[in-house]
Amino acid sequence: MNASDFVHVLAAAALFGFGVYGVLIAGHVMRKLLALNLMGSGVFLLLVAIGRRGDGALDPVPQAMVLTGIVVAVSATAFALSLLLALYRKTGSAELDDDGGEDGL
Amino acid sequence: MSLNLAMDVLFALGLLWLGWQVAAGRTLFRSIVMFVVLGLLMAVVWSRLGSPDLGLAEAAVGAGVTGAMLLLTHRRLLQIVPAYRGRPLKLRSMLAAPVGLLSGLMVLGLGWVMLDIPAPASTAGDAALAELQGHDVGNPVTGVLLLFRGFDTLLEMAVLMAAWLGVKMVQPVSMPDVAEAPAPAPILNVLLSAIVPSVVLVSGYLLHAGGSAPGGAFQAGAVLAAGGVLLALSGRLAPMYTPGLLQRLALVAGMGVFAALGLHAVPGGGAAMALPGTWAVYAIEAALTVSIAMTLLLLFMGSGGARRRLP
Repeated sequence: MNASDFVHVLAAAALFGFGVYGVLIAGHVMRKLLALNLMGSGVFLLLVAIGRRGDGALDPVPQAMVLTGIVVAVSATAFALSLLLALYRKTGSAELDDDGGEDGL
Repeated sequence: MSLNLAMDVLFALGLLWLGWQVAAGRTLFRSIVMFVVLGLLMAVVWSRLGSPDLGLAEAAVGAGVTGAMLLLTHRRLLQIVPAYRGRPLKLRSMLAAPVGLLSGLMVLGLGWVMLDIPAPASTAGDAALAELQGHDVGNPVTGVLLLFRGFDTLLEMAVLMAAWLGVKMVQPVSMPDVAEAPAPAPILNVLLSAIVPSVVLVSGYLLHAGGSAPGGAFQAGAVLAAGGVLLALSGRLAPMYTPGLLQRLALVAGMGVFAALGLHAVPGGGAAMALPGTWAVYAIEAALTVSIAMTLLLLFMGSGGARRRLP
């Protein structure tokens, strides 16, 4: 593995880690969503970085999978945002737990 | 350290900083903006990794359409409770430190495992590239999407459809009051009449180029949807609970054409998803573009359908 792939794989791991932290810690649902997307970005980056190894010929399969993944991620995010708006209109809060409601926009 | 590697490190550090801001930025608005910037930086990184297809898709979908959706939702949340504007997010949860520590350990573990994955002797990509030699489809990513992983792509359209159905179902709760008259803006008309046709042109080019060069249905559909987003934001399109006939056709065109052409050989004993020729690839790509654009637009609007609204 060359140094450039090394950098990208580590960046992918870190993005995934930030995403996990955000999903678990964020109070606001929208930030949880952003963090979920961050996890997705990490996975996409890993797939492509790993697919690039070896003789340098670009592997089209991980690229196609990531392309599919990007579109699925945006549709899932759109649905989640709709649910968030519905939750907000119903309850006036954008949080899933009810321990004080510290977070605002 | 070569210049290339230095650039890679620089971009990676940029990704990390932006990622941290997204996960733990001070305000939600800041996080959203950082997320959009992250998408753009990802697009650059994809190009550096040698994948302009992904760069295009990330810039149009990941940063563009998603970013617009996030900002619009943020604005709607503020309209519901205006007092929240600019209020900092308090992240001082008691669990922040332990979760951060465990996440950090997980990053180290993941990095260690991922760097240890041995390079396989032969990959599906090699097989795909070898198989594509005899085809007219010059863009290997388009080839893989339509010729070798057709079920994936077909079911992806089903995912888009499912997301739209979900949005349509919650619409009575999420967007009960849909009318929002646009302010009159003369310069907007001029801009729209220049930008929207060029958006259609770029989308058509991306679709056409997708057969042999970076581009394809996803990128073309996302760019076309961005044109629709522009019309929606400027008030030329208004949300409706149910789509009209034309919109219904546009929504199912991709799945319909793909399924019909994919199954055409089955009655004669042929394999499912075996396409009749290169023309079929272009026909499916065109239908997918229309469907992806329509679905992304309606997902953006958060509505079941759309109608024209004259200024």
